Amino acid sequence: MLKREVAKRVFAREFEACRELEKSERPDSEATDSKTPNLLISPLGLILNRVFVVGVVTELDNIGTQSEMWKARIVDPTGAFTVYAGQYQPEALIFFSTVQVPSFIALTGKARTYEPEPGSVFVSIRAEEVNVVDEEIRNRWIVDTAEQTVERLEAFSDALASGYHGEELREYLLGRGISSELTEGIAIALQREYSRGEFAKILRTSIREGLKTLDLDSENSTSAKADQKEFVLELLKEMGGSKGVDYAAFIDSAASRGIPEQVVEEVIHALLAGGQCYEPKIGIIRLVG
Amino acid sequence: MDEKIAPHLEELTRALGDLEKTGIRAEFEKLIAFRVPPDIAKESILRKFGEKKRILKVKDLSANLKNFEFTGRILDLGEKSIRSQAEAQEKPSRLYTGVLADETGSVQFSSWKELPGSIGDVINVKNAYVRIWQNRIRLSIGEQSLVSKISDSLLPSLSELSASQKKKLIDIRAADFSVDTVACILQLSYREVLVKGRQSRVISGVLADETGRLPFTSWIELDGIDIGSIIRIDGAQVRIFRGMPSVNILSSTKVSSVGPEEAEKLAFTFESVAKDPVPIKIEEIDSRDSMFDVSVAGNLVSVRPGSGIISRCPECSRVIQKGNCRVHGKVEGIWDMRIKAVLDDGTGSMSVTFPRELAETIYGKTLEEAEQLMFSDVSKDAVYEDIKRFLTGRYLAIRGNSSKSEFGISFVAESAWLPEEDIAVRIVELLRRLGSDEEDGSDKSSQVSRGGIELA
Repeated sequence: MLKREVAKRVFAREFEACRELEKSERPDSEATDSKTPNLLISPLGLILNRVFVVGVVTELDNIGTQSEMWKARIVDPTGAFTVYAGQYQPEALIFFSTVQVPSFIALTGKARTYEPEPGSVFVSIRAEEVNVVDEEIRNRWIVDTAEQTVERLEAFSDALASGYHGEELREYLLGRGISSELTEGIAIALQREYSRGEFAKILRTSIREGLKTLDLDSENSTSAKADQKEFVLELLKEMGGSKGVDYAAFIDSAASRGIPEQVVEEVIHALLAGGQCYEPKIGIIRLVG
Repeated sequence: MDEKIAPHLEELTRALGDLEKTGIRAEFEKLIAFRVPPDIAKESILRKFGEKKRILKVKDLSANLKNFEFTGRILDLGEKSIRSQAEAQEKPSRLYTGVLADETGSVQFSSWKELPGSIGDVINVKNAYVRIWQNRIRLSIGEQSLVSKISDSLLPSLSELSASQKKKLIDIRAADFSVDTVACILQLSYREVLVKGRQSRVISGVLADETGRLPFTSWIELDGIDIGSIIRIDGAQVRIFRGMPSVNILSSTKVSSVGPEEAEKLAFTFESVAKDPVPIKIEEIDSRDSMFDVSVAGNLVSVRPGSGIISRCPECSRVIQKGNCRVHGKVEGIWDMRIKAVLDDGTGSMSVTFPRELAETIYGKTLEEAEQLMFSDVSKDAVYEDIKRFLTGRYLAIRGNSSKSEFGISFVAESAWLPEEDIAVRIVELLRRLGSDEEDGSDKSSQVSRGGIELA
């Protein structure tokens, strides 16, 4: 009996850097029959098939010609996931044909790669189940994903610093309490021609910035800044509604109510990074939901 | 013909060892006699006997394992003749039973072959399997098992192994034949049951120490022992109850109270073990056959078909389809509600069943409200669809018991709640772990204004 694949938590930045894991590279040789799932491996050694993602859906296109096929972009603090739903995912298909853009959504799906020519690889998700969720769930997902990614980053850096290879490396990592799956993944990732430490560094920075946008929210809610932020948000709702507002006009009108430009910029930037508002066109700000 | 199959036999011998003794050759030849092509026959033999060569210890034994190798010292050995009714005329088969032990525990066994050793000897069994017999795990040695005596073994001596082993609750496995432990009584209740036609009182409850909790049943009176007592149990049996190891206190078991001075040296107190269990990762649950009273938090990534309003037989409570019970035929069903969903925390996934009371809480609709929805909608799946819309993707923390089968982990929830709001604390911790990076301005406001300028 095949066990259900675990839905991995991964940020878009790490996900899009994933590459296919060849069958010959797989740890357990007994599982190489036709039923084994497609596996991908990230530069940090995360082996994945199913993912669970929570983010903001910012773009939706029906790209199907003969039958319906929806393509969606789901944004997290580090980048964007590309998601497809076609005739074999009827529930996800109906969902994407009715969902409002933008909104917070939670999605499980299977990772896919497409390589039209050597060297250019597109990594996407084939949707399984999708639902609209609230911001609270999105924030929790970011923190969960950050925790699991940081754990991976630490194990990876540890492996890199140890200088071990192959069997020695496996023993070393298992001895440090790293799961056998991640140990295998890291061993394979280190054998591949990846940028090694570089990617880890970029991801680290990216996660830190993503978290700070969340941190900013919780910090502000207790300080006086929170009031100003509330006010800016209210003003944004009042002026733009769901249509959006011209950024320059918004700054002027905020200034006329005693809010300095710098504060407005700060708030808008935090909102943008936090996915609560977005720019449908350059210079236009629109609230999510 | 022989020339054709010779290379296959050679390959099989390389992979599986001696074919003659284990009867594998006979099995292979039987397939050939049925005109199965030799290479296909070889493959199926390899699938049946080959797998990976597994050498297991007592602690690794669980239900339905087969094809493994085991080495143990014989602690006890007896012999029975068994005559089945059908072959009453024939010579009775002999069944050898007893106890085998290694350094991780002791297990009951039964063998259809005479063993090449007696009490105190160490034997090695290839191609052993496990059966459940009277709710206990039993190592079975069958016709196709290969048993050999090992004269010089590193296993502990007979006297060391005979003294039953002191274990923490987390180390008690379904295979354990006899265990000693020290634990605190967390729950206790009495019930009357009929045992061999006699009314007797059994005590059931929950034991706990710093490593975990386990259910227990006592068939004897426990004088002066109540909730909160810390007791020492010597020579308890382990049985499987609802897929979970359960400690059984019998007349042969010694139970004594642990005095206050000794209790101080223990790593737990009643207060410390009585606290609600801290959520653990699904990865950890996946590493064990079963876990009793644990809590987990994750996302409901999928609500499974069969969730929603179901109809049960009034006689036996089985779920019925179209008013027909499998056992009782046409019946007037009773409405009930349940939710089956997959909970996933990124380290593992498990199938969780929420009985009606919990289903109503997490779905936010009572059975009556759901019935209204069902009758007002044309689709028979209206309630299922509604539950999916409401729950998919949500966070939930649950507490209950897990057990593992070939279909993965199943978890029966006994309570469910929204995980605590602890995001701010976790973010601070994460930022600390990520450390500050030299190239990137650590000052928050400078970053923001950088972005701000781009924007304007």
